[in-house]
Amino acid sequence: MSRADEAETVNVTVNGAEIEASPGELLIDACERAGAYIPRFCYHSRMKPVGMCRMCLVEVDTGRGAALQPSCMLPVSDGMTVETETDLTKKAQDGVLEFLLVNHPLDCPVCDKGGECPLQDQTVAFGPGESRFVEEKRHYEKPIAISDTVYLDRERCILCDRCTRFANDVAGDTLIHFMDRGNNTQVNTFPDEPFASYFSGNTVQICPVGALTAKPYRFKARPWDLEETISTAWTDSVGSRITVQSSRNEVLRLLGVDADSVNWGWLSDKERFAFEALNSEDRLGRPLVRDDDHQLVATGWGDALDRAVAALQGAAPERIAMIGGARLTNESQYAWAKLAKGVLRTDNVDSQLGDGLPVEAVLGLPRATIDDACRPGGTIILMGPDPKEELGALYLRLRHAVLEDGATLIEITPRAGGLTGLASHSLHPRPGELPALTAALVAAVNGEAVDTAGVGGGVIAAAAAALDGPVTVVLGRASLAETGESVADAAVNLSRLDDVSFLSALRRGNIHGALDAGLSPGLLPGRTTLSAGSERVGEVWPGLPESDGLDTAGILAASAEGDIDVLIVLGADPINDFVDHAAAVAGLEAAGTVIAVDLVRNDSIEAAAHIVFAAAGPTESSGTFTNLEGRVSVCEQKVTPPGTARPDWMLATELAHRLGADLGLDSPESIRAELVSVSPVHHNLIEEALAVGRIDGVLVEGNGDIAAPVSTTADVPSNDAYSLRLVSTRSMYDDGVALRHSASSRGLARGLDVRLSPTEFDKLGVKPGTIVKVESSCGQLLAPAFADSSLPAGSAHVPWSAAGSPAGSLIDAGAPFIDVRVERA
Amino acid sequence: MSFFDTANLATAHEIISRYPKPKSATIPLLHLAQQQHGWVSDDAMREIAQLTGTTPAEVKGTGSFYEMFKFHPVGKYMVNVCTNLSCQILGGEELLAHAEETLGVKAGGTTADGMFTLEDVECIAACTEAPCLQVNYRYKLRVGNDDFDQMIDDIRNGRADDLPEHGTLALVRQAIPAGTGAGITAPENAREAPVWMARNDVAEGSDDKDGGA
Amino acid sequence: MADIADYFRGFAVTFRKLFEDRVTGEYRGGRAKEGQPDDKRPKPERLHGRHVLNRYEDGMEKCIGCELCAGVCPANCIYVRGADNDPENPTSPGERFGFVYEINYLRCIHCDLCVEACPTQAITESKLFEFSFTNRSDAIYTKDELVVGDDGKPQQMPWEDWRDGEDQLTSGWMRATSSAGDHRYEGVVHWAGELGYGVRAPELGQSAEVASAPADGGEVE
Repeated sequence: MSRADEAETVNVTVNGAEIEASPGELLIDACERAGAYIPRFCYHSRMKPVGMCRMCLVEVDTGRGAALQPSCMLPVSDGMTVETETDLTKKAQDGVLEFLLVNHPLDCPVCDKGGECPLQDQTVAFGPGESRFVEEKRHYEKPIAISDTVYLDRERCILCDRCTRFANDVAGDTLIHFMDRGNNTQVNTFPDEPFASYFSGNTVQICPVGALTAKPYRFKARPWDLEETISTAWTDSVGSRITVQSSRNEVLRLLGVDADSVNWGWLSDKERFAFEALNSEDRLGRPLVRDDDHQLVATGWGDALDRAVAALQGAAPERIAMIGGARLTNESQYAWAKLAKGVLRTDNVDSQLGDGLPVEAVLGLPRATIDDACRPGGTIILMGPDPKEELGALYLRLRHAVLEDGATLIEITPRAGGLTGLASHSLHPRPGELPALTAALVAAVNGEAVDTAGVGGGVIAAAAAALDGPVTVVLGRASLAETGESVADAAVNLSRLDDVSFLSALRRGNIHGALDAGLSPGLLPGRTTLSAGSERVGEVWPGLPESDGLDTAGILAASAEGDIDVLIVLGADPINDFVDHAAAVAGLEAAGTVIAVDLVRNDSIEAAAHIVFAAAGPTESSGTFTNLEGRVSVCEQKVTPPGTARPDWMLATELAHRLGADLGLDSPESIRAELVSVSPVHHNLIEEALAVGRIDGVLVEGNGDIAAPVSTTADVPSNDAYSLRLVSTRSMYDDGVALRHSASSRGLARGLDVRLSPTEFDKLGVKPGTIVKVESSCGQLLAPAFADSSLPAGSAHVPWSAAGSPAGSLIDAGAPFIDVRVERA
Repeated sequence: MSFFDTANLATAHEIISRYPKPKSATIPLLHLAQQQHGWVSDDAMREIAQLTGTTPAEVKGTGSFYEMFKFHPVGKYMVNVCTNLSCQILGGEELLAHAEETLGVKAGGTTADGMFTLEDVECIAACTEAPCLQVNYRYKLRVGNDDFDQMIDDIRNGRADDLPEHGTLALVRQAIPAGTGAGITAPENAREAPVWMARNDVAEGSDDKDGGA
Repeated sequence: MADIADYFRGFAVTFRKLFEDRVTGEYRGGRAKEGQPDDKRPKPERLHGRHVLNRYEDGMEKCIGCELCAGVCPANCIYVRGADNDPENPTSPGERFGFVYEINYLRCIHCDLCVEACPTQAITESKLFEFSFTNRSDAIYTKDELVVGDDGKPQQMPWEDWRDGEDQLTSGWMRATSSAGDHRYEGVVHWAGELGYGVRAPELGQSAEVASAPADGGEVE
């Protein structure tokens, strides 16, 4: 965080030593910088101070005589004299701690916080030796589960207001609050309304006592038997920095790390708790092959690799395809890209499962960082998925930017989402008509605004007038029932705005690393195309594909036609994850040999895989991760993989070796070195830079050789009077592989329903919750119907993330938009 | 569906419109809910949250800070006996014990017929007229045991027209005519000395006097 | 010559001991054949022998799985894992119990720091000392072996030679607080025994003020 008035400083005397501080800085921070740590419970550097706990009282003299003042509420001023270790301060600290301990139970031996508890630590460091309180302490029912993952022990609470401030100020989910008063004051939820926030786990991390504890970690270990290493969260593409904590070779807990440019210490609950899937009993510890009875049975690596090699050796390059890869580290992605494109010479490689964007829209436009997007005084255009549902930590950053730093938010989304309440203008165009709306918006900046895509001209004009300062477009695929091309066209339109840059909101794990590694048709590592980069890459690789290949939809279609002999599924579950359910099933079943590389058995493996390689998970192998800004940060191995599972890059080198090629890659470091040598954009990704950027990572900048996208789609015809245009969005909790195998996140996926704009709902003439039939040209489903006033007229919403991704049966991957009919069942 | 009846819903919207931010109407709406229902139910808080754009937890957190909002059913008459210092010296605790016996409930309880809820309260600012109590926040001053029994009897038999219904506190506050508050008799109009002065005056002796507002 | 005298002076201890009673006994660890002597010397009352995990008088285990013993252990020989008590059928009072408890006697140095660290007096040391194992897994005592029986008596391992009273005095502790933080024991220093087996009498200065504290198992308000 840079301060505008950097030059101006004030002088403060801390314990006799004069230090410089910037105006507005809180005294507690200034003292800590000066080496005088002031104890605190309620103060948290990422939240507004409240002065609840009084632990940070110090003697401050501002010219009117020394007096005790809470240093977390006091901005520094010139000439201030501070004493943090006087008798009076010590007496105040003693008194505050004695009071805090009056009602705090001494059950540290059974408390999960015991050993890493600020109250324990500060009582030892600053507190009185003993208590004079001999009366009975408070008793409450303990613990109460305030959400699916968080337990609350109210008698341990010291009322610091951290969790409630986080819930209200940071996450915006005011579901916990102080109740009652005086001695009975307690944090609690409203009856029957649990703390169902996507960010509830953060309250556990910031609780200075053991009042809030996490169910997945409950009684699992004590701090002194945990080892930790810094790493990067992998469940979405924000790349939140974490520490992975393990004991006895088992990962037990992830905590957020305060990376100033990324997640500020916050994590979404999915990032925090989905690691449980790595410890699940269903983890693959050995390779599997399909036996004569069509059952998957465990086998040795030699057998599995030989079978894969036999299948690959007989196949022509254009009859080999590889989909997925966003789960892998950058190094593994590079190794698999080198194997597929360099050794097997196929370009039928796509890491996006039909729910992403054309690569030109991601890599070919001026790119923004999260900090760019959150600039004070800037404008954020959200034209992508709901960050609250898909990119949790980014949501918290954007929310802070709008609420605290005066950024303006304009929303161009198919329906209301988590940030709608903060948006100065919400534009919900008809599905498929994003390009028209964005064109109208750009035109309205200097001209007339007309009604477009179901959005009134006045609204568009107001939004255009609100565009102020640098503009950052958060660009992603909001609805899976619309094509990525239409989003790209809209992005092309918005790129005509002044001072505009784009922050990709592709959600899938390390998808940006996959694109940088060339895991996309027509791409080579280093943000370059097959034609532009062939010379550079061809020097290092044994060969290159002859022509551009197919994307996932094309691969699955070709496979269904019998044109794919070997289909490598690299950490993906197309049956549940590809937008078109029928195409995924047909493509997988018709492929000659399906080789899957994954952590757990998923539906696609069960249905179609012939050979399954057991891979090492994100905490079990080292490498790097590229987030949606292009920021590369390290993932470090903390535990060993189960059984004989191996890191993905090692599988690629082993396969290449058996195919008679040497990839020349023998460690993540060597892979990184080769990536740097073939990719000019990765020039700063050297080991020294990674060491310096241990917390914040290293930003890989530039568009490389990728040109900006050009408009492709024609005008979208409006739907006929009887049909509705489909919108399908994701939510944080789904029935995907990671959550299905996480004990505490399983079953949190929303139920299936269909939401209609109020006029359509009234036309249907049913009560809310009535089961209706939704039918498209390729499938149908039954679901309860509700009205949703944020949906544009003539559209219907079916959630993607319900169990089994039923919306996939309605979507045709080839269609630019999906029309459905909703009828009474 | 709605917790507020039609008239009160209109009032609620009118109250909300008085403030620049809907959230500011939380406490007036809690009063309105208590006025309609006698106490603030979970449904009421859910609706207030919806009306003010907050969450039920926020409404409950705000409301539960205040003693006079009741979050569980209470009797038609709230009897608050003061046991703070002045009243304690002059028999407040004895009065509470007597009240418990008369009503057959402990402090904090509600009689089986739902008529009375007995509470002991901290100072209600009528120290000059101790021991004192409030019924639905209307003062009864210098209450003796017999006075208490008489008062209960009057209420039970419908002879308590001066008492407002429970839950109308906000209305009552607005509607108290000047000069009828407790202990606000101007010194020149005082007809008798405060009871503690009388007790100090040994010659005069003392009897509990019915204050009556 | 003085040299000769020095020579014999050097043997003085040797010759003196030659005529004293022998210190070594005929200890055969209970495996003596018919007629062979098998003496075992009495051990000091506070000998640091093998550990036992105690129970309360109602049979509940005292261990709450807090891992303080494992944390303090200088030899790293203790492995503990806690788990949530089943509220219907709890193993120990309170929320948490010791789900895994293992001591590796190949590493243990019997320093008794675990006993000092234990907040519930769950772990104490008996006077049993026979550790002769033929394989490593025998040397790792699990919870099943360490926890006392229903009568409070330590479990006898096949290689342990118990003589009269040797399994006694395994427990008994002065406690200033109660386990599970029961407020009724706040500030009450008293002597607590377990199950009536092997309970040590209070020593000097450890007066049993049990009368002022309510009995265990009473209802907590």
